[in-house]
Amino acid sequence: MSKNMVSVTIDGRTVEVEAGSNLVDASLKAGVQIPHYCYHPKLSVVGQCRMCLVKIEGMPNLQTGCTTQIMKDGMEVRIDDDEVRAAQEGMMEFLLINHPLDCPICDQAGECGLQDYSFKHGQAFSRFSYEDKRTYPGKERIPLGPNVVLNMNRCIQCTRCVRFTEEISGTGELGFFQRGSRAEIGVFPGNELDNPLSTCVVDICPVGALTSTQFRFAERVWYLDKKPSLCTGCDAGCNITLEHRRGKIQRYKPRANDEVNDHWMCDFGRTTFQAYDEPRLSTPKRRNGRGEIRTITWDEALTSIHHSLAHGAAMGTVGILARGAATTEEAYLLKLLADSLETPHRGGLREPGPERLIPTSNGGLVGSEITPNRRGAELAGLEAPSSAERTAKMLAGAVNGAHSALLLFDGGRAGLDNALRSPAALEGLRKAETIVVVGWATTELTEIADIVLPIATHAETEGTLVNSQNRIQKFERAFPPPAGVRTGVEALVDLLRKFRPDFAPKTVADVFGLMATELSALEDVSLTELPASGIQLPVRPQ
Amino acid sequence: MAAEAILLRRSHGATALQAPVPLEAYRGDGGYEGLEKALSMEPGDVIEEVKASGLRGRGGAGFPAGVKWGFIPKETDQPKYLVCNADESEPGTFKDRLLMETDPHQLIEGCAICCYAVGAHICYIYIRGEYVRQAEILETAIREAYDAGVLGDNVLKSGFKLDMRVHRGAGAYICGEETGMLESLEGKRGQPRVKPPFPAIIGAFGAPTVINNVETLCNVPHVMTRGAQWFSDVGTDERNTGPKLYCISGHVERPGVYEFPIGVTLDELLEAAGGVLGGKALKAFIPGGASAALLGAEHSHLPMDFDSLAKVGSMLGSAAVVVMDETTCLVRAVQRLAKFFAHESCGQCTPCREGTNWSQLVLGRIERGEGRPEDPDLLLRMTANMSGTALCALADACVGPVRSLVQNFRPEIEEHLAAGRCPHPYRPVFEETA
Repeated sequence: MSKNMVSVTIDGRTVEVEAGSNLVDASLKAGVQIPHYCYHPKLSVVGQCRMCLVKIEGMPNLQTGCTTQIMKDGMEVRIDDDEVRAAQEGMMEFLLINHPLDCPICDQAGECGLQDYSFKHGQAFSRFSYEDKRTYPGKERIPLGPNVVLNMNRCIQCTRCVRFTEEISGTGELGFFQRGSRAEIGVFPGNELDNPLSTCVVDICPVGALTSTQFRFAERVWYLDKKPSLCTGCDAGCNITLEHRRGKIQRYKPRANDEVNDHWMCDFGRTTFQAYDEPRLSTPKRRNGRGEIRTITWDEALTSIHHSLAHGAAMGTVGILARGAATTEEAYLLKLLADSLETPHRGGLREPGPERLIPTSNGGLVGSEITPNRRGAELAGLEAPSSAERTAKMLAGAVNGAHSALLLFDGGRAGLDNALRSPAALEGLRKAETIVVVGWATTELTEIADIVLPIATHAETEGTLVNSQNRIQKFERAFPPPAGVRTGVEALVDLLRKFRPDFAPKTVADVFGLMATELSALEDVSLTELPASGIQLPVRPQ
Repeated sequence: MAAEAILLRRSHGATALQAPVPLEAYRGDGGYEGLEKALSMEPGDVIEEVKASGLRGRGGAGFPAGVKWGFIPKETDQPKYLVCNADESEPGTFKDRLLMETDPHQLIEGCAICCYAVGAHICYIYIRGEYVRQAEILETAIREAYDAGVLGDNVLKSGFKLDMRVHRGAGAYICGEETGMLESLEGKRGQPRVKPPFPAIIGAFGAPTVINNVETLCNVPHVMTRGAQWFSDVGTDERNTGPKLYCISGHVERPGVYEFPIGVTLDELLEAAGGVLGGKALKAFIPGGASAALLGAEHSHLPMDFDSLAKVGSMLGSAAVVVMDETTCLVRAVQRLAKFFAHESCGQCTPCREGTNWSQLVLGRIERGEGRPEDPDLLLRMTANMSGTALCALADACVGPVRSLVQNFRPEIEEHLAAGRCPHPYRPVFEETA
């Protein structure tokens, strides 16, 4: 689709932008940043913080960049200009006169719009006397809902949060009350900010007025390492920034991707990393003849698994089952393993969950499965049965006979299908002579396992996931796994080598490359070239 | 200057509690002839006539009314609206109140002509919440007009359909700002919208809307009956035409609403109003309501019209003339005004929310004798940051008096700073309210 492009000159640099773009967005294309607080690309434009004032040739007054749309060629804009600088300095002064300046105890410090613009556009001294500051007594820490706390003294009245609840979550809990310098943000009487997306208002708050109960006082933000990642709470596949300090994840923040989740993610998704605090598996283990679990080396474990699977394949049945949390690459290796064992009992698992809706400008993103990568497993060749009965049938087939062996690739806390974790199902699984569980946490499944392999969490590895839109997206490794723990791909490659000594791929990128040769949708794409916004795969007919 | 009363001819000598002119009496005095004449013309010609009269908006900004009507798109699928701005809330302004409570049909006729000219079939009169009696008078008059066939499905048997409603505000000054008024009319929090788009394109309920002040619309019937030529001959020059109501208050013998051809001088107005209270000397005056710059006594000979006042850095605004005698403390007077604006700022945009409050705080400490030598310059810098940077005109309204205090009456401030107290005995110019 060809778009109507117009040219605009910003500080002498001419760029082409789509007609109707506003100046704040257009200036980024020219490599100039126009400071702003109230403007947000996904919210309505109100032009009320007045921080984005710019000079436009032919206009008598300064104009706000956010409300100025570029409709035709030839607009000339000055930002590097004394008048504009004076206006920016003036606005910063106005915003700060009543601000408590409590940065040392403020969670926003380090990622605060007031701090950033003060350094860039402000002045180093105050002409306002301290005793006159306006405060909101008793409103320093009001819980607006279960996830968000308001400190009204820090608020700069940009109303992004109010507009979010009106326009994105559609719940309208927040309002702008009072008038003039007493204007304040709050929930309507009898209401609570408890919609499923409520924490997004914390992300879009440019100052420290709104903080999240989860992250409050947890860590100073400058200590956090940030990596682009994906939320694994459901199959919506929201893009996130994973923020951790030395391997302890402190928070997930949504990362903008207009094709997927815009700038949003749900409150549930933000809690999912807490699962990684559960007792980790740290070494490979094997149950001995007396039924006791004993630590063994990786080599012993892999040899033992190779033996059990090969024996099972030769004498009885073998099953390879992946939970939908496995990355696409892990699922592909499992598929190759199943190929080597020539077993028909292979598959992914489908587990429906509560519907999670992210309202986006593309018509909304819906996650409806607990497992984030069921579609990726299917793409890799591990079909998931369409119903619980079929799953049970597949399992029954896999553990049929005296010498059966089962490899369960268990990505996470929820483990395999919940149906699988029921006491009856566990009893059924025990019929298998050997159960191998590959996972990162101690679960009911590891309790009944004969051999356990500890692998990395998704924060500790890299790979791709396919979300509910059938869009394949990559995530990066945020930090290395603990000593003695390997990534799923490393473990599976090593295991596969026991069957196929000539198997060459080693890294996630290698495996992805091999897989891409099989899939026309990913033809000639390498993992490093996979765009940050992902690639849309053709949607499979159901 | 002998002035023929035009707008107030039926209100002459009226007191606030007198019954309004009823429909019969209004018609007997030539009322609704302007509407009849308009209905016999093409709508476009009515707009041209108003344009030719040079009638400029009486609400404060002085925008030519006919030009404003001309902005309304002719071909559109949307309904069009007229919203009459009767949210008269500026301190010292009470002219619309008199027009509405003594002669409501004059306003209804003006509204009807405007609606016919722009093709609007619904007119809202947005009246400030405190005008309870005036709203009731309007409602009674509108009912009279419906009963007499002046309003309704067949206006004066012309086939033109017009409905009129009184919408009461809730007492916010900011709802007199035209887009703030539209938000309030739509049932939302009354705070100004980003402009453009202007109300002529996207106004009430997203449809093209004309917004005119009460006095502006009251002039329209006279433009129709007496003609544009007559109208443009009244006044100082071709850019400042027509009769004008001046509200004079403060230190004056007979405060009230006086009608003059636009461009009367303060001297003439004072003469009509009996001079400065108690025969004292004039120190300063506000020519156009709380948002206009204060002028010194030396400007009392200046024609009070749009352009002459703009030349000396002030404005005609709502023509609310506030007289201050020699005993007035101007710092206190301006602080009181700044406090009003700080109280009435809607709070959405930064320079207004913070600047109006800061202004009144600084003026307050000067008045208390706690000012600092740098305060006058601080006020100038601060008002410079508020001027032209805000979302609507309210910040600039506060800048008007505050900046003029520093620029025109700096010695007053210096006196406070030097004395460490207010050198004037306390005499309120405006009544203090909580």
